[in-house]
Amino acid sequence: MEREQHKALIEAILFLKEEPVRAAQLAAVLEIPIGEVRSLLSELQQEFVSQQRGLRIFEIAGGYQMGTAAELAPYIEKAFGEKESGSLSPAALETLAIIAYKQPLTRVEIEAVRGVRCEHILDNLLKRKLICISGRKEGPGRPLIYKTTPDFLKFFGLKSLDELPPLEQ
Amino acid sequence: MPQQPSCTIKLPVFEGPFDLLFHLVKKAELDIWSVSIASITEQYLAYLKSMRELNLDIASEFLVMAATLLRLKSKMLLPRLPRTGEEEEEDEEALFQINSPEELFERLEEYRRFKEAAGFLGKLAEEQQKIYLRSAGSKIVIIPQKQMQQTYYTYWEGAQLLGEIINRIEAAAAARSIPPVIDLLDDLPVSDRSAYICHLLERSGSTLPLSAFLKQKGLWELLVTFISLLELTRLRKVILLQERHFGPILVRLAKENSRGTRTTQSAD
Repeated sequence: MEREQHKALIEAILFLKEEPVRAAQLAAVLEIPIGEVRSLLSELQQEFVSQQRGLRIFEIAGGYQMGTAAELAPYIEKAFGEKESGSLSPAALETLAIIAYKQPLTRVEIEAVRGVRCEHILDNLLKRKLICISGRKEGPGRPLIYKTTPDFLKFFGLKSLDELPPLEQ
Repeated sequence: MPQQPSCTIKLPVFEGPFDLLFHLVKKAELDIWSVSIASITEQYLAYLKSMRELNLDIASEFLVMAATLLRLKSKMLLPRLPRTGEEEEEDEEALFQINSPEELFERLEEYRRFKEAAGFLGKLAEEQQKIYLRSAGSKIVIIPQKQMQQTYYTYWEGAQLLGEIINRIEAAAAARSIPPVIDLLDDLPVSDRSAYICHLLERSGSTLPLSAFLKQKGLWELLVTFISLLELTRLRKVILLQERHFGPILVRLAKENSRGTRTTQSAD
């Protein structure tokens, strides 16, 4: 297959997939090296921008996913209503920040940083699948420990946790 | 960003005692490490006092922090005694194990770092809010076998049913000024009514909307129907179900009880 055909196939796969597709998965389908896939993807990304298309290819949660261009948001909102993901309260953001940087950790450890109990917030974040229970801590009471999920990365548009800036000292 | 109307009084909402302390330090334009415990304690207590004057609920964490601050302050005023052991640490409230101003400031610093990180995440989320990912708009397009999703309500979960009944009872009681009081549960002809409900359900082919049973006008009738339905649900003779949130509640005969089930199974 030629380069342009490869790009077309990647575009088609990304269009059909409703979750991030890993470069390695694309490489397996196209039977080309992963480095080649990445360069095709970045070309595609640039084409979408330079041709002022309504779609963009985002690198998100460890893969690539199609989405609408940010500048179209006001109009898309008009047509489809606001995104249902909704915004998070300052308390929820604080709790998420602590989990994101110190994960995995227990509820008590989170509360020690915030100085406030946060059972309800944790319940809420669990329900929204922004965090999940990753197991239990060894020790007295074997408390549950929490970590962030791929949905967390999606929610904040992050490629991976490494993309979080280092905590200011 | 929507502008707040200029006449609203907006009290800062603090996420917790650290948030409030951090705000006080910032207001004084001080570096966290150069704050005196005495002055910050004073300001902290003054804030709690104004909250009380405004009749605001004060979360217990704020009070624990007030006690912690006062203890730190008193420790600094008193001459240091030689350590007498670990007894002091034992009755410490689990939420704040803070025994010196340094520890307090360290904790405040840590809180400040995460508060900033939270602000950063908030900005990212705001940006991401503008992007509709491929999956966002399309729910499930292809459903291999269309099957109604049903939520089953058991005896304890008929909260909406109860609400409906209570509203009617209240309205009826208000209209006739009858206090809805039941003296003896035995007085209720529940078994008769239960049999009647089952009869109605069988005749209609096993399922009827709940509203079909609420047509009786009398308060007494309504009560008996309600309790009969609860009893039938408890005995698993009927199932209460709702196909979607806030949708109509359906009453259905439980499988094993419904005579003449139509579904025929192909013989091997």
